[in-house]
Amino acid sequence: MINTQEILVYIAVLLAVFFLVKKYFYKPKKTTKSCGNDSCGCH
Amino acid sequence: MLKVALIGNPNTGKTSVFNHLTGLNQQVGNYPGITVEKKIGYCKLTRHHKAKIIDLPGTYSLNASSLDESIVIELLMNKNDEDFPDVAIVVSDVENLKRNLLLFTQIKELEIPTILVINMSDRMKRKGISIDIPVLEKELNTKIALVSSRTKDGIEGIKTLLQDYKNISSDACLDTSKIDVEYFDRLKKAFPNQSLYKLWLVITQDVNFGKVDKKPMEDATSFSFATKTNSELKKLQQKETIVRYKFINDTLKKGYLVDKSKARDLRSILDRILTHKVFGYVIFFGILLLIFQAIFDWSSVPMDFIDSSFASLGDWVRNTFPAGVFTDLLVNGIIAGLGGIVIFIPQIAFLFLFISVLEESGYMSRVVFLMDRIMRRFGLSGKSIVPLISGTACAIPAIMATRNIESWKERLITILVTPFTTCSARLPVYAILIALVIPDQRILGVFNAQGLTLMFLYLLGFAAAIISAYILNKVLKIKSKSYFVIEMPNYKLPMFKNVFINVFEKTKAFLVDAGKIILAISIVLWFLASYGPGEKFNNAENIVKTEVVNQEISSLELDDKIASYKLEHSYIGIVGKTIEPIIRPLGYDWKIGIALVTSFAAREVFVGTLATIYSVGSAGEEEETIKQKMAAEVYPNGKKVFTLASGISLLLFYAFAMQCMATLAIVKKETNSWKWPMIQLFGMTAIAYITALISFQLFK
Repeated sequence: MINTQEILVYIAVLLAVFFLVKKYFYKPKKTTKSCGNDSCGCH
Repeated sequence: MLKVALIGNPNTGKTSVFNHLTGLNQQVGNYPGITVEKKIGYCKLTRHHKAKIIDLPGTYSLNASSLDESIVIELLMNKNDEDFPDVAIVVSDVENLKRNLLLFTQIKELEIPTILVINMSDRMKRKGISIDIPVLEKELNTKIALVSSRTKDGIEGIKTLLQDYKNISSDACLDTSKIDVEYFDRLKKAFPNQSLYKLWLVITQDVNFGKVDKKPMEDATSFSFATKTNSELKKLQQKETIVRYKFINDTLKKGYLVDKSKARDLRSILDRILTHKVFGYVIFFGILLLIFQAIFDWSSVPMDFIDSSFASLGDWVRNTFPAGVFTDLLVNGIIAGLGGIVIFIPQIAFLFLFISVLEESGYMSRVVFLMDRIMRRFGLSGKSIVPLISGTACAIPAIMATRNIESWKERLITILVTPFTTCSARLPVYAILIALVIPDQRILGVFNAQGLTLMFLYLLGFAAAIISAYILNKVLKIKSKSYFVIEMPNYKLPMFKNVFINVFEKTKAFLVDAGKIILAISIVLWFLASYGPGEKFNNAENIVKTEVVNQEISSLELDDKIASYKLEHSYIGIVGKTIEPIIRPLGYDWKIGIALVTSFAAREVFVGTLATIYSVGSAGEEEETIKQKMAAEVYPNGKKVFTLASGISLLLFYAFAMQCMATLAIVKKETNSWKWPMIQLFGMTAIAYITALISFQLFK
């Protein structure tokens, strides 16, 4: 039986993976050629 | 009464000249219908002769771009105006003569007798300027008065010239019709009784020539629209400006000399020292040494504070929250990972502080000038120094900064070598490894060995960039032209508000932007290190107990063995073990291997990864800093992991290895192909591997 802490862990891990996949594999179309607010993927 | 118009660029001291000529004999009003000030004064030329002087608004040229400037053209185009001048005085500044003469050449074409006043002559000696007045008078077809409105020298000379104004030529000094001979011929034939240049101004200026004789002007405008489009007229205007500046340049070469070696003002004296062919470089490297020394020495106190604070926070969370996997994630994943980044904020803040001060003071452009001589030998431009130095902050904007390098070959080489310079993300890696393996000692009683090592790594990165550029310059068969033009700003005291904002923004970007990735990677890493496949991981406790059944060990040591066994058989342990044979010759174990892989996402992840892995791999509950955990890490045979050999090997690996994934992406974007980033990735990784291998084998 999965307890509360384990559920929290799985949620945190899924959110982290989702963030990283979105950051590195999904790039929204840019309307300008400047870096805008995301530092050109520096971080 | 003689009517004189006083004209000139803003900031040439025109109003001072006006005040000297007129004294208190002035009237101030407004031009009709508008709020622009109209100043008229009276000047006594001789006992019986006076001149009425009108001080016109400052204007850069007769191509009016403001209401002030429109007033100047309107007056000079309208002979029926009561203030239309008998003679014009164009006031110029001796230091900006080239720019000021544009207006002068235009006024001359309006067929008004024009005197050129060269003001601020008191500054000539300090700036090393000398002028051949007769030569300039001949070339410009005018009379010149050399004046200093500050010391009042030369003011009487203006009055003398005004008395003799009828002998001043009203001929133009160059012929504008050459810009389009056919067009101006047709204009001349259509309007034989009108001044060609006035017609040209009417056609091209968006000015309300309300008081000007309308009919011929309207005819000229409609003539022009019938023969030339708007864009064609704009191109002709640009051509006119180019022709004027060419004439001005040729004229000044004959009669205007600037000898920097004779200049005596502070800027020139400083430039002679700071751009000296020997001392310039000595001073530059001295400044660099000071910067890196300060980064290490000044940052140690806040860094120690941050380190122990995070360790305490982890301890508090462990003691306060209910025991379980999520608490474990908080302490050993999130807090440990974030602590590994926040600790380096003092060093990064100091680095950006020094770079900002150098930029704000104007010294950075002197560095660019100095370095051009060296850079050129390696196939780079003096402008390459900006990306190379910016690369000490981050390679991404540094690579983007190469866009202002005109030559494609120089630009490509700069893009390919910039990642060799030590970016701020590598600083946490260097800082922690140097603190671990380099003794905290003074050399010659002055220099800190750790600070020197850091400086050496920065210089090594720079040297690697330069040497690679030299090789690439020989190897790459790309033809391109190269030239270097730079304007050096005046020296000034740095505005500390700007410096502070810059430091704050850069540090915030590092913390917030990198912090999000570190946090996410720390969570994923903790999960991969805390969970594993198969029986070996799930039954770790029983397996270890069976192994040590005949040994006498404490419960703490047993817990440590179980934690370590679990880590080795976790998901991340399997990855690390797989690559371990490749990295073992470099002196790295599988845990360091994991950190090498994850730091490709962002270099600063290296420290956070190790912090997470070592925290997870230890069952001990005593408060320990990241540095202490790394220092205590040993191999199964008891030997320390972080020795001088392995530390230097890691330092050199990071010095030469390709930077993060984002760098790869920006190189692809700037070179528009995957070819160059792939060459960069494999090339730099190979150099890093070989260098790390050799250094470990030598030092072990």
